[in-house]
Amino acid sequence: MNYDVIIIGSGVTGAGIARELSKYKLKIAVLDKASELPSGASRANSSMIHGGFDDKPGTMKAKFCVPGNKMWHSLVKELDIDFNHCGSYVCAFNDDEVKHLEKLLEQGKINGVPGIEIVSGDKMREKEPNVSKDIVAALWSPEAGIINNFEAVNALIESAKINGAELFLETLVTGLLFDEKNNIRGVTTNKGEFLAPVVINAGGTHSGEISKWAGDTSFKIIPTKGEYLLLDRTTQGFIHSFLFSCPSKAGKGITVLQTAEGNLMSGPTATEQEDPEDRATTPEGLAEVLKGARRLVPDFPVRLNITTFAGVRANTESGDFEIKALKTPRGFVNVAGIKSPGFTSSPAIAAYVADLLKEELADRITLTPNEKFIPERKGIPRFLYLNMEEREELVKKDPAYAQIVCRCETVTEGQVLEAIRRGARTITAVKMMTRAGTGRCQGGFCCPRVAEILSRELNIPLDEITRHGGESKLLVGKTKEFLLNKGAE
Amino acid sequence: MSEERKFICVSCPLGCGLNVTLENGEVVNVTGNTCPRGAAYAKTEVSDPRRVFASTVRVSGGKLPVCPIRSKTPAPKAKLKEIARAVAELNVKAPIKIGQVLIHNVCGTDVDIVASRDLN
Amino acid sequence: MNNNIDVLIIGAGPAGVAAGIGAKKEGAERVVVLERDWDLGGILQQCIHPGFGLRTFREELTGPEYMHRFIQQAHEAGVEFRTNTMVFQIDKDTNAVWTMNKERGIECLNPKSIVLTMGCRERPAGAIRIPGTRPAGIYTAGTAQRFVNMEGYMPGKRAVILGSGDIGLIMARRMIWEGAEVEGVYEVMSWPGGLRRNIAQCLDDYGIPFHLQTTVMKIHGADRLEGVTVAKVDDKMTPIKGTERYVPCDTLLLAIGLIPENELSRMAGIDIHPVTGGPVVNDLLQTSNPAVFAAGNVVIVYDLVDNVSDEGLIAGANAAKFAAGKISPNVKRIPVKGGENVRLYSPQFVTGEADTIIYMRVTHPIEQACKVIAEPGLYTQRLRYARPGEMNEVRIKAADIQAKPDLKEITVDIQPL
Repeated sequence: MNYDVIIIGSGVTGAGIARELSKYKLKIAVLDKASELPSGASRANSSMIHGGFDDKPGTMKAKFCVPGNKMWHSLVKELDIDFNHCGSYVCAFNDDEVKHLEKLLEQGKINGVPGIEIVSGDKMREKEPNVSKDIVAALWSPEAGIINNFEAVNALIESAKINGAELFLETLVTGLLFDEKNNIRGVTTNKGEFLAPVVINAGGTHSGEISKWAGDTSFKIIPTKGEYLLLDRTTQGFIHSFLFSCPSKAGKGITVLQTAEGNLMSGPTATEQEDPEDRATTPEGLAEVLKGARRLVPDFPVRLNITTFAGVRANTESGDFEIKALKTPRGFVNVAGIKSPGFTSSPAIAAYVADLLKEELADRITLTPNEKFIPERKGIPRFLYLNMEEREELVKKDPAYAQIVCRCETVTEGQVLEAIRRGARTITAVKMMTRAGTGRCQGGFCCPRVAEILSRELNIPLDEITRHGGESKLLVGKTKEFLLNKGAE
Repeated sequence: MSEERKFICVSCPLGCGLNVTLENGEVVNVTGNTCPRGAAYAKTEVSDPRRVFASTVRVSGGKLPVCPIRSKTPAPKAKLKEIARAVAELNVKAPIKIGQVLIHNVCGTDVDIVASRDLN
Repeated sequence: MNNNIDVLIIGAGPAGVAAGIGAKKEGAERVVVLERDWDLGGILQQCIHPGFGLRTFREELTGPEYMHRFIQQAHEAGVEFRTNTMVFQIDKDTNAVWTMNKERGIECLNPKSIVLTMGCRERPAGAIRIPGTRPAGIYTAGTAQRFVNMEGYMPGKRAVILGSGDIGLIMARRMIWEGAEVEGVYEVMSWPGGLRRNIAQCLDDYGIPFHLQTTVMKIHGADRLEGVTVAKVDDKMTPIKGTERYVPCDTLLLAIGLIPENELSRMAGIDIHPVTGGPVVNDLLQTSNPAVFAAGNVVIVYDLVDNVSDEGLIAGANAAKFAAGKISPNVKRIPVKGGENVRLYSPQFVTGEADTIIYMRVTHPIEQACKVIAEPGLYTQRLRYARPGEMNEVRIKAADIQAKPDLKEITVDIQPL
């Protein structure tokens, strides 16, 4: 299969680049090993759109974060993504931390972060009555927000697909292909070869390994686990803004936030590890999160916890992003080490990558604007958020919207069917695209129902349906056959 | 020969702890029971332990792929495994009526397997 | 206003069907029960084991058999049912009930009174924050029960069961009867969550080990569950170092408790009791919204379906009375208080309009003779023991309440003798 460009990885970085490049007349292939999107660090993170004061001037992070923030504010409208424009506070508990706030304020001004200011603890508590009485001051950043990160990645890739890009899931890149001049020719995967003169490495925690295949060992990815607690949506309004602690060496520290859906959430820890795929939560990590959450919000209602999860970020030794087009092999572009504020930066990174292709790889790829580019993408209707007239209209058009599948998040069969039309093949894919199963019963009610719909619509037996691809089958066979076969064994 | 045995009576949700005294394999005394069913339970539990079996059978043409069934009366405990297999082999056509006998005298136990719901 | 519904009942499980019967018997003209499933009966349709209705019918029925009898009675009484109909909103101020159905679309119903009978749901794994991965193969016992009993599929080959609630015990036996293995049942408390007879007939009968004060510490496996680490816990429920044990299994079933299902009640602005998790009710089963009644596991999680049906009948009858304007807005509200070892109880107010039962559970087991009491001097009953897994009842006579016009408060308690 021949393409103009192959993007390895469809996290927010890869999907963002795909969408950006779909503004040009290009044949684009996006490859991801997962069965649903997002799957890596883009799935399990704080879903934060950062203000941009936290990054040292002169770094790539500082370069992309502030413009990325600005771009998201319009992208969420263009791509129909839930976004809670809530602002953020960095909380200081003592004089030393207040000094740190002043440093951040300074840094933020250099980075061009709009509207930031230091407010007193009391002023902050007027808006956030549930935060600690011990907070003496806080850095307020009004342009920060919280995005529905599941939706965001799917929106980007759907937009890219609307404009001609092709997505290949369950496609694991196993190596690079080089031509006789030792330049990039394509990639090998578990599904065969994909050929293109340009390959973009947006492989997240695996980006270091992929870079090595191209001979660039100038950076090392340090997989860093972040654990989180997620609480029931009845906690909505307990806090309103994104709350940071003052950062330590380990990371930005434990934060408390209300997700775009209204769930209270806290995390992440920052534990370095070897395995980029180890997403197991730990007793120590969860205890650390709870302790950090209670420091900011003393009455953090952990009894309303509905799930715990961990994500693995692609930290680098330098602490900065690794974005460059290699001189050799020509055609290989690293967009590696994208971690916080990676989600925020991703639209700016994508635009930068397009420029990089124009400026440095013009011999291999030509970016001709696609006049037919459609910037808008409509999300799957969110029954929960519609008013009664909109609901009535939707149900009249398609009665499947009158059947509720997920009772916690009021997700209808119509939404599940639409997710399947848009490519969902697993329980988790439906969850990412519709939020069925993200509520307080965590799929107890809807999982069998979603499985039945997948089975019916895709015409595959119920016991072939997986939670998230691979060997994650929900069921092990039919009851009576199971008993009789077992006897025969 | 005298022997003491302990049972939990399963006749009702109370779950009385029964202390049973046996002489030569015969129940001679039961304590711990709240009602006469406890004593009766202890006697059968010693001589001929029985349980109600409840499972499902495969159904063709019904609104559900399986239909719940039960043994109409308690079946010998030792035969439950065999009964489970006999039930597993069955495939019934809908419609099914509650109480409909699906297997007569299952595994020679004199116990019938009946449907425990209507299924169209 | 497209309807003349006197009593609208939400949920056609045991409480809802009984409420329908109760409302019709009380003389309500039009009684409608809404059910989100295609079938009536609620969760009892998947509870295919016997053990239901001994008190009501003097014999032990399976869940579907129990419901069959009630549904027949309801049909005979003239109760209307609407299946495949989900209520997705109740408006706070108007009590308008918004429903959806594929054929009828969205409808707004304006009944004279409402009975909430939505039942309860199971506590999910997240509620207890078990560390580890998130593979396939972790189900609440009820979800597994649905797969096995309604869909005819096996959730796994070798199961570990965490929590000893009755559904977990029942599912242990059910898995065995379908040819699976059950490695053991683990309970973090020092006493079982379910009934003793279920431990006897579901675990002991099949040699399934039952481990008290032991819990699952960690989940292993990326795609499908591969195993769990279990460990003993001390009296503070902290895992004891050195007692960890890896148990290979492909399925973890959770029976760690039930929570009344009150999304709609909250939407309707009804006061929810912080401990029961259900609406605050008086003995008429009237909630903080006088037109809204509630019965069954949506109020407090019962042990026996007989109690659920009893309460349904009462709530239905009172909702019918309310619809007919026969319940005074000024009924007495004598608060009930729980004693030291009372974890939860319902109702929380007594009116003295009729004889009533206060249901309660102890916090800690009392394994000796004790008494259940209602002060001042309203009720005393001796018990051989009191256990958290087994509900206790306090019976209050309306005449006794009426005889004490100055009664300010009732205290229910269970104390060792």
